[in-house]
Amino acid sequence: MGSYLTRHLQVLFATLGDMRRTPMASFNTLVIIAIMILLPCMMYVFVKSAQSLSGTWQGRPQITIFLQKDLSQDVAKLIFEEIRLNPAIELAELISPTQALDEFKLLSKLDENAVTIDAQLELIGENPLPASIVVMPSLGFSRSDKLQNLKTELSNFEGIDTIQLDLDWIDRFNAILNVAGRIALLLSALLAIALIFIVGNTIKLLIMNRRHEIEITKLVGGTDTFVRRPFLYYGALFGFFGALIALGLLLLAAKLTQPAIEQLAASYQTGNLVYSPSESEIAIVIAISTGLGWLAARWSVAQHLRHIQPK
Amino acid sequence: MIKFSQVTKQYRNGHEALKNVSFDIQAGEMVFLEGHSGAGKSTLFKLISRIEKPTSGQIIVDNKNLGRLKPRKIPELRRDIGVIFQDHKLLLDRSVFDNVALPLIVIGMPRDEIKKRVRAALGKVGLSGKENALPITLSGGEQQRVGIARAVINRPNILLADEPTGNLDKALSDEIIDIFADFNQVGVTVLIATHDTRQVARLGKRTLHLDHGELVEPSMTQQTQQQESNQGQTDG
Repeated sequence: MGSYLTRHLQVLFATLGDMRRTPMASFNTLVIIAIMILLPCMMYVFVKSAQSLSGTWQGRPQITIFLQKDLSQDVAKLIFEEIRLNPAIELAELISPTQALDEFKLLSKLDENAVTIDAQLELIGENPLPASIVVMPSLGFSRSDKLQNLKTELSNFEGIDTIQLDLDWIDRFNAILNVAGRIALLLSALLAIALIFIVGNTIKLLIMNRRHEIEITKLVGGTDTFVRRPFLYYGALFGFFGALIALGLLLLAAKLTQPAIEQLAASYQTGNLVYSPSESEIAIVIAISTGLGWLAARWSVAQHLRHIQPK
Repeated sequence: MIKFSQVTKQYRNGHEALKNVSFDIQAGEMVFLEGHSGAGKSTLFKLISRIEKPTSGQIIVDNKNLGRLKPRKIPELRRDIGVIFQDHKLLLDRSVFDNVALPLIVIGMPRDEIKKRVRAALGKVGLSGKENALPITLSGGEQQRVGIARAVINRPNILLADEPTGNLDKALSDEIIDIFADFNQVGVTVLIATHDTRQVARLGKRTLHLDHGELVEPSMTQQTQQQESNQGQTDG
């Protein structure tokens, strides 16, 4: 076992030495690999950041409570007071039918097609709008399941017609993020395949360059496993260093975009928006990249090494 | 040690390199293989080290029937055969040390043991102190000797040498053939392909003659000088 490990370490260091001897060729391949690893990492960080952003927004959805139309103003006030004192609610505002109508008229005037709105209202003869209460829940009730509970609680009140929970746009935003996440996943898979091809091709060139050496090694009794080993290390090391470069670039990209993101964060009054990957996530990226490099080498070696036999 | 029974080798292009060749070389024997270029000497060597497969016939090397040898057992066979090539087949971008050590590296021998053995092998072929030289800086004779050191480093039972004295002057040729004779003295089976009749005469060993792929009696070959020098030492 000890000698087995020693042999592997020897091959590892010999391969590192080979890489250093051809720095340009190795560097070119590493940059390509790094970019291919970097793209999915960036997408991941982007989606994660956006998710945490939508999480902070969920603390401030609006609930609009429409009261029954034939309710008197006093009863409406009573309901409003009761709702306002609910610990789950931070802010509440009562909008009378008249206020609602004024707002409606104001909005209608902005619309060119709605010039006849006054005439139509006159035709109806009375204000068709009910009184409503606009409510902003407190931060503790930020999550959508808690909002749903609040909604159920409120709907037990007498005199309330409908409750509109303004969660639609958050759901839509999350759906978009979900789609973006899926696309990122798909792209990552495609990039992984491309990475396998690129590393595989580099390994193929290496094999061709070392054809003579492989032939001689086989002539003096080198097994296929022995001949193959340095190429597998090559592939794995390409993946490993590619991942390190990618993570370095990711850090750089985060630094470069930070001022713009801080501005964005300030406008939404939230804290740090950029998701910073955990140690285990970094380890996973390195492991996947190393594994893909190894896999690519394995695939390339299986294709090309068999055909090199001593003559 | 090396036994050919009615071995025929026809290449894919139709060229018949060996025709119905049979011979038996005993363990510890030293045998010369003679023949014009293209007579099939190299093919015969390739068959012994299982670089090529015979079209028909049976080959037994070191008690291994090569026809039934599994591909993964080939390295094992080759570790038991030291081969010296006419074109040396050295790794030109590696030091003499790395070249000679290769057969030991592939079997995973510890580094210290490899160093000792390489030093001993280079001493044996008269290249002490050349460990760090690149083969390209060496003369043809020296490169040939690096090849010999590599072939013997793993203490094989069989040594095959393809035209080992091809481009060398008389003195150097003698020196190199003597190295083979020394290995033969300690029990290694040696087979040397050569058309250097002088060496064949000098050592007086058994000789196999190949003529257009066929093993022939020396009396049937064309050169009288060769016949004379080989009287009484032909196939037994």
